[in-house]
Amino acid sequence: MLETINLSKNFKDKKVVDGIDMYLEQGESVGLLGPNGAGKSTTISMISSLLKPTSGDIKLGGKSIVRNPSEIRDVIGVVPQEIALYEELSAYENLKFFGEIYKVKKGVLENRIQEVLEMVGLKERQKELIKTFSGGMKRRINIAAALMHKPQVLILDEPTVGIDPQSRNRILETVRELNESHGTTVLYTSHYMEEVEQLCNRVYIMDHGKVIASGSKTELLSILSSELTVQVQLSETSDHIIDTIRLLDHVRHVEETNEGIRIISKRDANILSAIVLAAEKEGIQVTHYQMETPSLEDVFLHLTGKTLRD
Amino acid sequence: MLSFLKKDLLVFWRDRKEILVALLLPIVLIVVLNFAFSGFLNGETDSIHLNVALVQDDNESLGFEKFEERVHDLDISTSDKESILKKAQLLSPTELLNTFFSDPELEEFISIQKLEAQEATNLVEKGDLDALINIPEGFTYSVLSSMLLDETTDKELIIEIKEESTEAGALQSMVSNYLNTLNFQFALGQVSGTAMSEPNLPQGGREVIDGVDPYTMADYFTFAIGTLFALFTASTLTAKTVTEKRERVFHRIMLTNSKPFDFLMGKVISTFGLTWIQLIITLVATHLLLDIFSGETSEYLLGIFIVITAFSIAVAGLAALFTPITLRLNDPDLSNGIFMIVIMVMGVIGGNFFPIDFLPEWIKKVGEWTPNGLTQTTLLKWVQYSSPTDLLVPIILLVSFFMICLFIGLFLFPKRGRM
Repeated sequence: MLETINLSKNFKDKKVVDGIDMYLEQGESVGLLGPNGAGKSTTISMISSLLKPTSGDIKLGGKSIVRNPSEIRDVIGVVPQEIALYEELSAYENLKFFGEIYKVKKGVLENRIQEVLEMVGLKERQKELIKTFSGGMKRRINIAAALMHKPQVLILDEPTVGIDPQSRNRILETVRELNESHGTTVLYTSHYMEEVEQLCNRVYIMDHGKVIASGSKTELLSILSSELTVQVQLSETSDHIIDTIRLLDHVRHVEETNEGIRIISKRDANILSAIVLAAEKEGIQVTHYQMETPSLEDVFLHLTGKTLRD
Repeated sequence: MLSFLKKDLLVFWRDRKEILVALLLPIVLIVVLNFAFSGFLNGETDSIHLNVALVQDDNESLGFEKFEERVHDLDISTSDKESILKKAQLLSPTELLNTFFSDPELEEFISIQKLEAQEATNLVEKGDLDALINIPEGFTYSVLSSMLLDETTDKELIIEIKEESTEAGALQSMVSNYLNTLNFQFALGQVSGTAMSEPNLPQGGREVIDGVDPYTMADYFTFAIGTLFALFTASTLTAKTVTEKRERVFHRIMLTNSKPFDFLMGKVISTFGLTWIQLIITLVATHLLLDIFSGETSEYLLGIFIVITAFSIAVAGLAALFTPITLRLNDPDLSNGIFMIVIMVMGVIGGNFFPIDFLPEWIKKVGEWTPNGLTQTTLLKWVQYSSPTDLLVPIILLVSFFMICLFIGLFLFPKRGRM
């Protein structure tokens, strides 16, 4: 339905997006992951026609929309990272304004406003000014405004940043409902891996302006099929023991966490005994250990060398 | 477009602080400044008071006789001689000067007493009088031969002053103004060939021309402050665009396939409407408080109405220009700063802060090319004399200003894909 072909964007001499190939099938929910500065927002701006690509193409239903962007504006809804609403207007007035400029017909506008308010759970608060809303409520209206014209594709740019768990769950529910019940195609970027895992059928991972991995969750996890994650707790921790573990055969990554030491190594049955031996040599005991199944977070870390919130 | 207009008006309406500033501040300023400077233009103050002696050394009848002899000696036709003598009979320089100084309005700040030369000089020396005006011997003959025969005069009114002061300067200026007007009125009579009636002399220190009413300080401040604050309205509404850009609402709007023209026209029409309402409220409130339109005709009020409507259109043009500049500049503070400077400069050269009559001619000319300066000048002229044809050119200029700004605004409006 929507695809980008070798999409690139330069700002002066800096290449911010570098030859991205992506596609979204109709009714699919796709995640776009990447650390800050990876080029996600620039990619979204190009897909939504706010930015002109330096090179490459964007196609909607097989037709290029770079030269004729008005077509894509009719079918996409964009939820920006910022609260793009009029603070001095009420929720209802904001939705009415955006409904009118999206050219929703007068006869259906009122119903549509009530529908989207119902969807985001703020029907009872529609007369209140946006500036009186909590951050979570503002984000819900931010989504509602993008839904006024019943978009076929919904692009959400980190829609849950800095909000309370209740609003976050409501937003995730809304997005899921739109995707599953209304058949809306979703492109979702987030810093929260669990949101992407929960909502998306497929994921693109971006870093330094490039897509470095893509596929379904299973496909991405298979990247780590040759790896093993072990979480250990020691009787005492020092930089020396961490360095010692890091130097063990097959160990790929070691980091200290709140729960102890997290070790990613090549899948090897002997890694645990190697850790125990190394610790004993230093007079330290392993008090607890846990073998973990790799998550998308691990995949991300493996691919980019950073966590999502870096 | 209507959606944008409704939105812009609602956003402005909800900002009560801005509304109070836009509507109340100009009225407060007009009233305060009017009271602070009252009398500056129309002599409403009693701070100036002069005690002046008028010394009559001239014998008017002798002067007339001498003039008659001079006319008879001239090598002109008898009918011309009769005509000149007839005019001379109407023109009594010393009598006109007496009439001038006994004007009730002038009497409020100049007390004239007729004294002998010696006594008057003594009183001025002692400081009991501020000045003396001496009508020298031969004055009547000299004035008549100067005005009617175009001969060089060697007799002038002599003003003796104990100390140089603003008041004494004002007196000199008044007397000089009186003589100039007398000459002017007489020259007019000569040119038109009509029989000269009693000259229309300066009154109360201000020049009065037929059909021209003087404007008051209240008139000046009403139009100056009113037009200045109208300019600020353009800046205030443009500042809302800063928020729209910062909070990405503008990007969201651009994603709706809305035309930039609609967005811009929303700003333009709302600026026009708010400026117009602001000016109407300012004028009505000023009238209620300072009685500026008392006794004026409906034609006069219609003229005011038309000029402020044209000016509101010009201010809307400024909003059309400021909006795309705001959208193009990345720093909202920079755009606000630039607009504020532009408005302040327009205010200064347009004469909104102080009358610019004393500034060099070229600055006055430039000032009249600003919409505020042009409007202010037009309104003040309209107050003085009502000639509807005089409104036509300023209205065309104000509407042209709007059109030029709108075209530039549309040209500068950021294109999608380059934001």
